[in-house]
Amino acid sequence: MVKIVTDSCSDITPQLAEKLGITVVPLYVQFGEQIYRDNVDLTAEEFYHKLAQSKDIPTTSTVTPEIFSQLFSKLAEETKEILTITISHHYSGTYEAALHGKVTVDKDCRIEVIDSQLAIGGQMLLVISATHMAQSGANLDEIAKWVRNAIPRVHVRMTFDTLEYLRKGGRIGKAQAFLGSLLKVNPVLSIKDGDTFPVARPRNRTQANNFLVNFVKGFSHIEALAIEDATTSDELEVLAERIKDTVPPECLYHSKVSPVVGTHVGPHVLAVSILEARH
Amino acid sequence: MKKLANGQTLKEMFKAGTTWLEKSAPDINAINVFPVPDGDTGTNMLLTMRSATEEASHNADNNASSVAKAMAHGALMGARGNSGVILSQFWRGLAKGLAHNTHFNGSDFATALAEAAQAAYQSIINPVEGTILTVLNDSAKAAEEAAKSDPDNLTLVLEAAVEAARCSVAQTPDLLPVLKAAGVVDAGGQGLYVLLNGALHFLKGKADKIQYWKPSIVVSKSALTLKTIPTSVEMEMPYGYCTNFVLEGQNLDLKKFRKEMAKKGQSLVVTGNGSLVRIHIHSFEPGEILNYATRLGKLHEIKVDNMDDQYNEFLKMQREKLPATDMAVVTIASGEGFFNIFKSLGNVIIVPGGQTMNPSVNQLFQAVESAPSDNVILLPNNKNIILSASQVVSLTQKNLKIIPTRTIPQGITALLAFNYDLNLEENVRIMKRAIGMVRTLEITKAVRKTQLNGLKIKKGKPIAILDDEDLVASGDKVLDVISQALEKAGADMAETITIYYGAEVKADEAENIAEEIRNKYKSEVEVIHGGQPHYKHIMSLE
Repeated sequence: MVKIVTDSCSDITPQLAEKLGITVVPLYVQFGEQIYRDNVDLTAEEFYHKLAQSKDIPTTSTVTPEIFSQLFSKLAEETKEILTITISHHYSGTYEAALHGKVTVDKDCRIEVIDSQLAIGGQMLLVISATHMAQSGANLDEIAKWVRNAIPRVHVRMTFDTLEYLRKGGRIGKAQAFLGSLLKVNPVLSIKDGDTFPVARPRNRTQANNFLVNFVKGFSHIEALAIEDATTSDELEVLAERIKDTVPPECLYHSKVSPVVGTHVGPHVLAVSILEARH
Repeated sequence: MKKLANGQTLKEMFKAGTTWLEKSAPDINAINVFPVPDGDTGTNMLLTMRSATEEASHNADNNASSVAKAMAHGALMGARGNSGVILSQFWRGLAKGLAHNTHFNGSDFATALAEAAQAAYQSIINPVEGTILTVLNDSAKAAEEAAKSDPDNLTLVLEAAVEAARCSVAQTPDLLPVLKAAGVVDAGGQGLYVLLNGALHFLKGKADKIQYWKPSIVVSKSALTLKTIPTSVEMEMPYGYCTNFVLEGQNLDLKKFRKEMAKKGQSLVVTGNGSLVRIHIHSFEPGEILNYATRLGKLHEIKVDNMDDQYNEFLKMQREKLPATDMAVVTIASGEGFFNIFKSLGNVIIVPGGQTMNPSVNQLFQAVESAPSDNVILLPNNKNIILSASQVVSLTQKNLKIIPTRTIPQGITALLAFNYDLNLEENVRIMKRAIGMVRTLEITKAVRKTQLNGLKIKKGKPIAILDDEDLVASGDKVLDVISQALEKAGADMAETITIYYGAEVKADEAENIAEEIRNKYKSEVEVIHGGQPHYKHIMSLE
């Protein structure tokens, strides 16, 4: 069976990873001298608590090729085919690290690395679908082909209280058009072609949440849907309730923005990711 | 008694009419349904007429039809505000009526007036009686009657038209209830009456005397202060060639040299001394400048750049800076704070203007033309600019969409609603819908005593206007007026209330108001410098 690997920026919860047998490679978040493995040594809850309390501004670092090399070698003992789906190379060096890690593996195992050109829930939905395909017996080529074709059908929309975290972390991309507003806005951004794009500027959180709901409801057929928050789970519950008719419950995934991603988006993000059905 | 007039007569008639209008402009400005300090009908009509007479003065021949055509063109390009646009349509009709006349008599003029009335009516989607339209119609009918008795007598015909206009203006309050309630006549109708009356003064040979006369309507003590419209940096269009060189000579007369160069171009900078001078100048003919300079000495470091190329490069760069959307937004705003707010919201071209200074059709047209895209969205942000804005649609080759925003908060809301994922048509739909989701309160001082909507209004006291159409509160204290107005505007439903404080208001004053509102409502309250004239506060409820 094809083994599916991804990184912690996919926001796949440890529970879901275990249930579906997905290997999640953690990136690193650092507070002062202390380094934590994303979602392993530090849960999302702990991280946002620390973020609010600590004077230190966290930083993040990517996975080394060596870690991928070791992981692939270990997995090669139990499988002949590995598919790795990483966060967009615009956001992190994980994709390159996986590619470099792959060439040093000296085992009878085919390893494919795909840049999802996404992150968070969007990346998550690709990984989950790929895992389902692997479980139903698809081979590496079939799954890889499916993933590459599915990328344009994934739509991510995120709302923010502030773009400061994205700006400081250098992940603002084309959404820098939204920087510098003298009016307080709650921007909505998307991830497209692997980078951050501006979408709209609701004036307050209510309007921003309405934007997300209307965005989801605008699709005629959703294959899978991921929704996530950082520190506002009550808001996420309301959102879930409002969109529950758009997708069967087993295709709706709840998650939390991981510490590494949270470092770059801040504690008040709300995001929806949609895998649109093929027309 | 003039029997057959030519284009020269037409020019002179309306030159006198414009002069007469200038005298009366402050009084016409004072006519305003709301007692707010933004009456500008007189100024708008005057500036429109100035543009018309200016264009006519460049007209080489004295053919009546070509002079009328030139005036129509000038009026359209210079049209400001609703009254200006209607006046420009008056000229379009008049030009159509005189299209085949090298000369004209009373009867021809009456026919042209009828055409003018028709054109003015057609330009308005929902014509309202008791306005300039009625006055124009009445005077055209009277002119037609008079022409029957003495077709050749232009003076007689115009006299009838003027008299009818005067009676018609007096009757406007009977036709339009809002005028009656406010105890005023229609300002646009008044302006037309004054204009025609001035023309009549010329025909009667009194043009040179009118400068000594008092205006024929209510006497105003205030002097005419024309609001100048500052040209915005954003609208400055580079042109021609940017020419730079160093001139080396002996005993160069810098003063004389600077004076000569100033005649040849713009943005002139001359630095140096009698033997070495550095020159920077923008000109359409750099050759002429270099020719002149070579006669004075040796030239070095000659650099001539085509600024159109530079400008196109700049536009290209601007376009590349934008995310994947090929649309530009032109907006009208007044107040430094609002300029900054709009600038902070992205690549927006700002035309300065608004209350009491409506930009001309030509200014709006230039702004649209300078936009770095063929798809342009225009936000007038004032009910008196919407009509001028819609004139630009037929002037430009670009795909121009007007979002009929009546207040600056509506403009800001429309701009924020812009969705980068959608195309022009979808965005127009979304922006139009967004206008309905914001309410605007404008807080100002009553400029006169009046009674409106059951409210007794004292001169000089604060009043509040909701969505630029309803006077909803008045009182002695700003805070009380705001409090009443917020209630009427449904502040309990608003999630975000923004206070844009005006040029004459201090930040802490606005902050105090915000605190009061926070105590009373659960809304988020934002305080920001608008810097607008006349209005102490402009507030938005979202």
